[in-house]
Amino acid sequence: MTAALLIATTVAACGSDSSASEDAGGPWKFTDGSGETVELESTPTRIIAHSHAAAALLSFGIRPVGIYADVPVEEDPGLKDLDLEGIEILGETWGEIDVEKAATLNPDLIVADWWPVEDAYSGTEGGVKAESKKIAELAPIAGSAQGDSIVSVIEGYEDLARSLGADLSEEGVAGRKQRFEDAVAGFEAAAGAKPDLTALAVSPTNELLYVAVPEHAPELLDFRRWGLDVIIPDDPDKAFPYWENLSWENADKYQPDLLLVDDRSYPENLEQAEKQPTWDTIDAAKAGSETPWPGYWIHTYEDYAEQLESLTAAIDKADPKLGSS
Amino acid sequence: MAAGASRDTRALSAGLAGLALCLLLVCGLSIAVGSRSIDFSVVVDALGGHAQNSTEQTVVNDIRVPRTLLGLLVGAALGLSGALLQGVTRNPLADPSIMGLSAGAAAFVVLGISVLDIRDLGGYVWLAFAGTAVAAVLVYGVASFGREGATPIKLALAGAAVAAGLWSVTTGVVMTDVDALDQIRFWQVGSLAGRNMPVLEQVAPFLAIGIVLALVCGRALNGIALGDSTARALGQRVEATRALILVAVTVLCGAATAACGPIVFVGLVVPHVARAICGPDYRWILPYCLLLAPAIFLVCDVLGRIVLAPGELEVGVVMGVLGAPFFIALVRYRNLAEL
Repeated sequence: MTAALLIATTVAACGSDSSASEDAGGPWKFTDGSGETVELESTPTRIIAHSHAAAALLSFGIRPVGIYADVPVEEDPGLKDLDLEGIEILGETWGEIDVEKAATLNPDLIVADWWPVEDAYSGTEGGVKAESKKIAELAPIAGSAQGDSIVSVIEGYEDLARSLGADLSEEGVAGRKQRFEDAVAGFEAAAGAKPDLTALAVSPTNELLYVAVPEHAPELLDFRRWGLDVIIPDDPDKAFPYWENLSWENADKYQPDLLLVDDRSYPENLEQAEKQPTWDTIDAAKAGSETPWPGYWIHTYEDYAEQLESLTAAIDKADPKLGSS
Repeated sequence: MAAGASRDTRALSAGLAGLALCLLLVCGLSIAVGSRSIDFSVVVDALGGHAQNSTEQTVVNDIRVPRTLLGLLVGAALGLSGALLQGVTRNPLADPSIMGLSAGAAAFVVLGISVLDIRDLGGYVWLAFAGTAVAAVLVYGVASFGREGATPIKLALAGAAVAAGLWSVTTGVVMTDVDALDQIRFWQVGSLAGRNMPVLEQVAPFLAIGIVLALVCGRALNGIALGDSTARALGQRVEATRALILVAVTVLCGAATAACGPIVFVGLVVPHVARAICGPDYRWILPYCLLLAPAIFLVCDVLGRIVLAPGELEVGVVMGVLGAPFFIALVRYRNLAEL
């Protein structure tokens, strides 16, 4: 697929960190999350990005010329409060990208998350329309790898932004990162003060209560690294190991001190849960010890800081003697 | 055919009584067995309102009892509506899905989720109801064009066409709205999980009215089953009867789909089983469906609760998995054209 491009694409020997380029304007080279190195004759300036990657680039001061999103841009939590003036919207439905319009923007780089499990970037995964996948033929693609930490995703875009010439010492950019680092410190302090506190990440629906498996949720792995004991469910669904499925009869299987509720359909999912007679058999639910958990969308230091601050407040309020497991 | 009609009334009555007993046992099973294992003595204590453990009390009284009652009513409604539809359309393959009724319910639920942002089961009930009614009016309206009125063959054709049109609406919305897809994909499978008292209270009156209406249609259906002209010759008002039966079907199917989502196979298979037992007389077929359908439906639901514990398998899936081979066996065993 990259054969027709101006650039030579090589698989890096070690698929580790990214390497920044030479001076802006000169030849440009970047090794992204997939381990592939993109080389161009000059630093790209006309970037089309998937909405989440766009949020990351914007937070470092890089403005894409076009964005394709999975949902209407005003509903995308990752894009909230962002000024998209002058940026072309090339798609607002998952799997659908207006490649013809994208081509008129003459992009020299496409930026999107790399999904190692699917061996694809956002916009080229299985299920995306064939004509939409042609976005990958307009220019080389680069992006952070989704893996076991949100922080590494953000750092990947930080490296990319630096190589694209972003000024990371600019007051706003540096301030956002500082706020994030403070938020992590605050989170660690709050969690450290309550070593016995347990949390359970859930996604309630009318039919079942889904319990998240931290191994497949990078933000939950981050929380665990920072000292919060997020419960690891013992019987994940074999076909879809992201979750353990509990019938409402078994809602009380885990008794955490704090419930983290999937924020992608929050607060409707919490309202659905509250209608179930057994929701209150989880002591934390009965005590109202619940807080939204950012499910899978965070791509910027600022968004992460904001979420961590609210989680820290919830940890401060939570009672470590509430649950029993 | 004549053999069925002349079968001993006493034997059929005894069979009905035996079936009622079976259904009672199945209800007991549905209250005693679930994805959470609770001792039988505790279940009995909980029903009496004095279980030691408050969680088990809640599970039995607030989840299993309403779920069993709902399964009872919905199962009966599906079985009866299938029998009515097969009779009125003289089509052995008729069931709520072939008449576009389930498609109407699904289209309205999906539009409600996507356009009106409705997320709760109580809201789905009204949407599904409205959708079923609209589909029924459409099907009957389209089939009524022409001199002969809504003949069985025209009803079946109109049903298939309306179903196709309405499913395309559903698919169209779901393709463009990921959030709606997330919500609908659970509803669309058909499940008794998570329903509980509020949903039961919402649909029970409609189901009760529909069941009564269906049971009084037996004699009229016998006339229609002989063909429109014969029924007319016997002094029946064919058009009025057919319209009344379709109203009963709409109420039954609308309320059942509203409560549990579209459930396949109960409406299709149970009337055939009933017919195999009691012959072509709808005055017997309908009461047999009334008892057989909920028994089968509840047994499937109980199976779904235990195969994936601590999770659950939706009853719609269990019905599909068990219903298909059962139906094939039935077709091989009996000549279904005896309608």
